[in-house]
Amino acid sequence: MTDTQQVQPRRSSLLHGLLSFFVPGLGQFIAGQFARGVTLLGIILALGSLSVWTIAQRARFPDYQVSTQVFLVLVIECAALLFFLIALRYILNRYLFKDASEQAFTQVGLIIFYAAAIIIVPDQLLATAGNEEALSQVFGTLGVFAAATLAGLWFWQVYDAARIGARQEPPSMIGGVLIACVLIFILGWNITQIDLPKAVREYRDTQVILGQIIWPWRTAFEFEEINVEATAKIQAPCPEGETGPPVNEPLQGESWVVVTPTCGELTERDLRGNVTLGTELTITGGNFTPGTDVNILWKNPIGNPFRPRGVGDTTIQIGPDGGFETKLNIPEAVIPDTAVGAQIHTLIVRQESAVVFTGRLSREMHLALAGMLETIMLGLMATFFGIILAIPFSFLAARNLMAPIQTTMSGVAGGLLIMIPGLWIGSLITGQVTALFGGLEGSPLLTAGTALLLVGSLGYAGWRLGSMGMQTVGDRAPDALSRTITALVLALLGAGIGYFLGLGFSRGIRSIPLSAEVAMQTETTYAIGGAILFGVLALVYAFQKGVHGTISIGIIVYAIVRTFMNIFRSIEPLIWALVGIIWIGPGPFAGAIALTIHTIAALGKLYSESIESIDHGPIEAIQATGANRLQTIIYAVVPQVLPPFISFTIYRWDINVRMSTVIGLVGGGGIGFILIQWIRQFQYDAAGLAVWLITITVAILDYVSSEIRERFV
Amino acid sequence: MLQVENLTKIYPDGTVGIRELNFTVEDGEFLVVIGLSGSGKSTLLRCINRLIEPTEGRITWNGVDVTAANQAEMRRIRREIGMIFQHFNLVKRSNVMTNVLSGRLGYTPPSWSLINRFRRDDRQRALQALERVGIPGKAQNRADELSGGQQQRVGIARALMQEPKMILADEPVASLDPVLANSILGYLEKINQEDGVTVICSLHFLDLVQRYATKVIGLRAGQLVFEGNNQDIRELSDERFKEIYGEEAERLGA
Repeated sequence: MTDTQQVQPRRSSLLHGLLSFFVPGLGQFIAGQFARGVTLLGIILALGSLSVWTIAQRARFPDYQVSTQVFLVLVIECAALLFFLIALRYILNRYLFKDASEQAFTQVGLIIFYAAAIIIVPDQLLATAGNEEALSQVFGTLGVFAAATLAGLWFWQVYDAARIGARQEPPSMIGGVLIACVLIFILGWNITQIDLPKAVREYRDTQVILGQIIWPWRTAFEFEEINVEATAKIQAPCPEGETGPPVNEPLQGESWVVVTPTCGELTERDLRGNVTLGTELTITGGNFTPGTDVNILWKNPIGNPFRPRGVGDTTIQIGPDGGFETKLNIPEAVIPDTAVGAQIHTLIVRQESAVVFTGRLSREMHLALAGMLETIMLGLMATFFGIILAIPFSFLAARNLMAPIQTTMSGVAGGLLIMIPGLWIGSLITGQVTALFGGLEGSPLLTAGTALLLVGSLGYAGWRLGSMGMQTVGDRAPDALSRTITALVLALLGAGIGYFLGLGFSRGIRSIPLSAEVAMQTETTYAIGGAILFGVLALVYAFQKGVHGTISIGIIVYAIVRTFMNIFRSIEPLIWALVGIIWIGPGPFAGAIALTIHTIAALGKLYSESIESIDHGPIEAIQATGANRLQTIIYAVVPQVLPPFISFTIYRWDINVRMSTVIGLVGGGGIGFILIQWIRQFQYDAAGLAVWLITITVAILDYVSSEIRERFV
Repeated sequence: MLQVENLTKIYPDGTVGIRELNFTVEDGEFLVVIGLSGSGKSTLLRCINRLIEPTEGRITWNGVDVTAANQAEMRRIRREIGMIFQHFNLVKRSNVMTNVLSGRLGYTPPSWSLINRFRRDDRQRALQALERVGIPGKAQNRADELSGGQQQRVGIARALMQEPKMILADEPVASLDPVLANSILGYLEKINQEDGVTVICSLHFLDLVQRYATKVIGLRAGQLVFEGNNQDIRELSDERFKEIYGEEAERLGA
C-alpha cells in the first residue's frame, strides 16, 4: 500500500461495500457506476432465479416456493462460510503471514478450501437449509453448487463496490465474469441433463444399432436361401386293403428319401390327453451334404408343412457318406370328417443351406436409391427455379445499379396512376386469352407465362405512358396547375396504399377478441385512417418536392426488395417445408417449394452482393458508347458477375441437396422421407443405408462443386 | 463546336466538382485539361457526355443542347463521343474482340444485344481498329491478359468503333510509363489529325501537354484558372503555373 491512498475513500469504500452487500449493485450505483450497478443487480437476479427454476425443474416434485426458500438459505449459508474464510484470511494475513507470496498462498488456499467445503459438506448444508420434506422437493447437489457460486458472485460484487467506492477507476470485471460463467456452466450442465456415467453405462445398447448403421451394406443386396429338399408320399389313415403310394427309389446325384411303409395310421390323442402313437416309419435318405443337419417336416393333405412333435427326432445329422436313417411315428394331423378319398401326406426332408448372394439389389436399396435420386432432383429443381427468380430480384436489390435510377415526381405520379389500369386490363386480357387453352388447370405453365407477359408488359406500358404524359403536362402546363395535379394524384395513390395498409393492420390485430361489429368498425376506421394519413403524407411530400423534384425510385425498390429478401431468408427452409406440406401435401413438390423460396432469397442476396462489388469502370465505359441500360447490363455487368453467379449457384445446389434430406424428415419427400420412416420402424440397417447414400452423395457433390467453382473463379 | 456555358456540378454531399465553367472547343482541336487531382477534370469530362448529371449550365455540341437531351437523344449523342479512361475500364473477363465491339453498342438495336449480335461489318471494323492501334493479333485474348499499354490501345480501338466526332480522354496515360504514354498520346494525335476528331484530354505532365495540346485549359478547385493555346503553355511563367497548381507546387523537369 502506497501513501498516496487517502483515508477518506477507504471509509467510503466500507459504506459502498455494505450497501452492495445488502442490495447487489447498490454500492456501484451510488458511486456513480450506474451501468455497472444495474448490470450486476441484473446478473445476480437473473442467475439467482435461473438457479431456483433449474433446481425446481430437476427435483422430483417441483415446488418453486420451497425451492426458493431452500436456495436462499443455502446462499446465506454459503455466504456465511465464505465470510468466515475471508475473515480468516484477513486475520492470517494481518498477524501471521506478512510475506506477499505467503499471502497469495492464503488466497489460493481460501478458494480451495471453499471448493472442498461445498463438495464435502453439502448434506449438512442442505440439512440446515430445509426440513426433510422440503428437501425431497429440491434437487440437492445442484442447489449447493449454484448457491455457493452465487455467494461467491455476491461477495465479489461487494468487493467490487468497495473498490469502486475507494478509487474512481473501476476495477476489471474479469473476476465477476469468471464467477458468473462458472454459475452458468453449472446451470447449463444441469439443464441439458448431462450425465456422463449414464453415457458410459448405456453405451453398450447402441452397439447393435451402430453396427447396423455403420455397415449396412448387407441390406443393400438380396439374398436367397436355397433349400435342398427330398419328399416322400404317405397315405394316412390307411383303410383295409390299401398299400399307399409307391415307395421311392434312391436316386443318383440328387438328394433322396425313402419312407417305409407308405401307408399307416396317424397319431391320435383322446380327450384325456392319452396319446396313441401312429405307425412307425423308417426313413432313409442320401446325397445330402455330409456333416450338416436336415429337418423333417410333415405336410398334411391341405398343404401346411409343420415340424412334427412328440413322435421322434426331427433334426438329424447327416453322416459322412451323405446319408441318414431314422425312425418317426406318423404325427397328429387333423383330417376333417368330410374328407373323401385317400389322404396323401408328404414327408419333407429339408436341408437348409447357407444364404446365397443373388447379385440383385434389395427392395430397401431400390427405395433408398429412388429416394436419393428424388432428393438430388429436388435440390436441382429448387436451385433452377431459385436462379430464375433470384436473378431479376438480385438486380433490383443491387444498390449500385438502383441508386442512379431517378424519376421526377410528376413521372412517378402519372406512371403509378396509369400503371394500375394497365395491370387491370392486362389481367382481364390474360383471363380471356388463357381461357382459350383451358386456364390455369388446363395448361398452368402457358397460363403463367402469358399472365406474366401480358400483365407485366401492359403494366410497364401504362407506367411509361403515364409518366411521359405527366411529364409533358408538367413541362407545358403552368407550374401551379401541374404541381397541384401531381400532388393530387400522389395523394390519391397514397390514400389507396394507406387504405389497404390500414385494412391489413386492423385484420392483423383481429386476434384480439372483439365482437363482430366492433371488428367491422375498427376495420373501416383503420382503413380510412390509413388512407387519410398516407394521403396527407403523400400530399405534403409531393408539394415539398415539387413537380420537377426527383425521387430516387431505384432506392425505394431496392429497399423493398432487400427487406423482403431478408425476411424470407431468415425463415428456415424447414419452416417453409411445413408451409409447403400444408399447401401441397407431403411429397417432393412441397420440399421443392420450400427450398425454392429460401433459395430465391439466399441466392438473391449473394447475387446482389456480387453485383454490388463489381468494378464500376466498365459500366461507365459501356454507357459512354451510347449503350442503353439493358446493353450496359449485358456487356458491363454480366461478364463481371457471371463467375460469382456460377460459383454461388453450385454452392447453393450443394446446400439444397443437403437441405432436402433434412426437409424430407418433415415430409418434404426424397430420401429423408424414407429415412425417417425406417428410423421409426427400427429398421436401422435400412436407415444406415440411407445415411450412407446421403454421405456419399454429399461428398461427391462437395468435391464436384468445389472443382467446378475452382474452374470458374 | 463544343460550347460549355456556366457549367456547374455540385455533388449531393456538397462537394463542388466544377463551378461556372465557360469555354469553347473548335472542331478538330486537341484540348488538354490540366489541374491537380480533385480539381474537377474528371467531373468536367463526364459532364460533357453526361455520365455525371450537371447541376447547372449548358453544353451545346454542334448546335445540339446536350444538357437538355432525353435518354434516346443522349444515346445518339454519346455514340459519337468516344471515351478513354485512366484505368482503361475494359471488361476484363471478356475477350478483346467483345471489348472493341462494345463500342458499336450505340448503333446496335438493344434487342440484338440479348443474343450478343452485332452487324457483320462491325467485326471487320473491329479488326481494322485493332490493326490501327497496333495489336492486330490479340482479338481473341482475354482483356486482362494484356499489358497496360495494350489495354489502353484496346480502349482506343473501342472508342474508334464509335466513329467518334470527339474523344474524351480522362488521364489516359496516368497509369502508364512515359514511353507508353507518348505512344498512346501519339495514337490520339493521329486520330485527331487524320480523322479530324476533336480530342479533350486531361493530362498531368506538362511536357506532354506542350507536345500534344493545341489548346489548354487549367482547372483549380473546379474553376477555370487558365486558358490558352500551345504557345501560351510553352511560355507559362512560374507565377501562372503556381496559380494553376497551387502554391506548394514545384515544376518537375519541364
